[in-house]
Amino acid sequence: MKITIENKDAMSVIRLADTSVILAQRLAEMCSNGLTLEEDIALSNISLDLFGRADELYKIAARIEGNKFTPDEYVFHRNEREYYNIKLVEQPNHDFAWVIARQLLHDIYAKELFTQLSTSSNHEVAGLSQKVLKEIKYSYMHSHDWTNRLGLGTAESNERMQRALDHLMKYVDELFNFDELDKKFIPDPEKLKAVWFSEVDKILGESNLKRNAVAPPSMRDFREGFHSEHMGHLLSIMQFLPRAYPDAKW
Amino acid sequence: MDKFEQAFNELIEKELKIEPRDWMPEKYREHLIRQVSQHAHSEVIGMQPEGNWLLRAPSLRAKQVLLAKIQDEGGHGLYLYSVAETLGISRQEMIEQLHTGKAKYSSIFNYPTLNWADIGAVGWLVDGAAITNQVSLQKTSYGPYSRGMVRICKEESFHQRQGYEIMMQMAFGTPEQKEMAQDALNRFWFPALMMFGPHDKDSAHSSQAMKWKIKIESNDQLRQKFIDHTIKQIEYLGLTCPDPNCKWNEETGHYDHSPFNWDEFWNVVNGNGPCNQERLDHHKKAHNDNKWVREAAAAYALKTEAQVA
Ligand SMILES: [Fe+2]
Ligand SMILES: [Fe+2]
Repeated sequence: MKITIENKDAMSVIRLADTSVILAQRLAEMCSNGLTLEEDIALSNISLDLFGRADELYKIAARIEGNKFTPDEYVFHRNEREYYNIKLVEQPNHDFAWVIARQLLHDIYAKELFTQLSTSSNHEVAGLSQKVLKEIKYSYMHSHDWTNRLGLGTAESNERMQRALDHLMKYVDELFNFDELDKKFIPDPEKLKAVWFSEVDKILGESNLKRNAVAPPSMRDFREGFHSEHMGHLLSIMQFLPRAYPDAKW
Repeated sequence: MDKFEQAFNELIEKELKIEPRDWMPEKYREHLIRQVSQHAHSEVIGMQPEGNWLLRAPSLRAKQVLLAKIQDEGGHGLYLYSVAETLGISRQEMIEQLHTGKAKYSSIFNYPTLNWADIGAVGWLVDGAAITNQVSLQKTSYGPYSRGMVRICKEESFHQRQGYEIMMQMAFGTPEQKEMAQDALNRFWFPALMMFGPHDKDSAHSSQAMKWKIKIESNDQLRQKFIDHTIKQIEYLGLTCPDPNCKWNEETGHYDHSPFNWDEFWNVVNGNGPCNQERLDHHKKAHNDNKWVREAAAAYALKTEAQVA
């Protein structure tokens, strides 16, 4: 099955959907591995929201594309190079600090992005954005609180959080290398970038953490379907059943 | 018999609830702590065999349903730990007892989940058996436990439905899917039936628990209810019951079953099942790897409290 995406708006929506589903899958890995039952349940909630969001976004993309493919086909039958999520969200759950740092950097991005999209000229995208903003605020509260706790908790937690941030920061650059599609789809790309940096700096500042400068990475862009090495492993697990039994219905 | 014991016996007699503030015999309290903590640990350890397929769930819907289901089990664990806490034991102590092997959990979770239909079989048979037991426990004599069961049972019926839905999809799917469904049923049938515990004639704990009305129906009664109900579902699915002696008996008005392999049952209870070590190690690892996070949270709470004060 060769999955194609013809329409430019559909491609913009697919990027959002891919980012949601890959982050959801990463968070699902935390199920039964939480530091407490309460935290296990909280991360499952965030993961569930993201799977739900991805599902809705794929439906919108599919409708733009004339329903040539179903959401499940987009998820389970595209190869690595046909996925367009930001690389940040495919990074592994190295420890709890990585989970929180990745989530914080994502949530601040998603919050401003969906705020802007809630006035999108695509009514379906606008409607969905209004709905998911509530979920994003919950997730943002969670990642913000934990950033405070880890940053200000113990020397060890501060150090682990700083290390996670320093590593993940290299996947930030590409978020703001807007292409023509972005400029058409996102109402105010430059504001997205400005808000992201100011909010990140504010939260890290209040948590005794730093946004260390990273050298501009030489890395190919997610918009062209380039990924880190982690992505292939994630997909091979996620897509195993529909690929191994192509005739089966699930 | 002093007046406290008399009052306790009267409450039991009249089928009224015992509440945390009431006097209760030490043995009653001990029995409940053992049973409720075992129940809580089962909910939590039970997240693992299903979690084993969470990342491979084959559709967006299947992923969401399974994740929500596993999350519910975590919630049940949380709820049951607080029921046990009303009896004077902390969650921390219970987790230590789990890690040292002093506290048990349901042996069924020491079996592996080997194909996607196992997730169906677990919801259908394992949650199904658990519900049969828990519906009965709604009438248990300890108030907080009884109310907990009422709440938990509402969610459990969704769990069984999602399991049965997967079984239908598999049993009515491609030949390969049907084969997976039969394989899952073959492996889970007897372990699920043994979940109800030893036969009544061999169950020492059980008879005392029934006098105290902690337990309302006996192991064999509950097991028989479950068999009678489930056989019809196996037939509907077009699968074969792995017990050739599971036939309708006109005389008893129930389905018969072959003798169970209690040696296997006790061997698994005693730590020699396929996954006992893995389940405990997994739980310990999540707990220990995150010690630094709990310390950070505690330190942060102290600092912010100090600021408020
Ligand atoms: Fe449960
Ligand atoms: Fe359940």
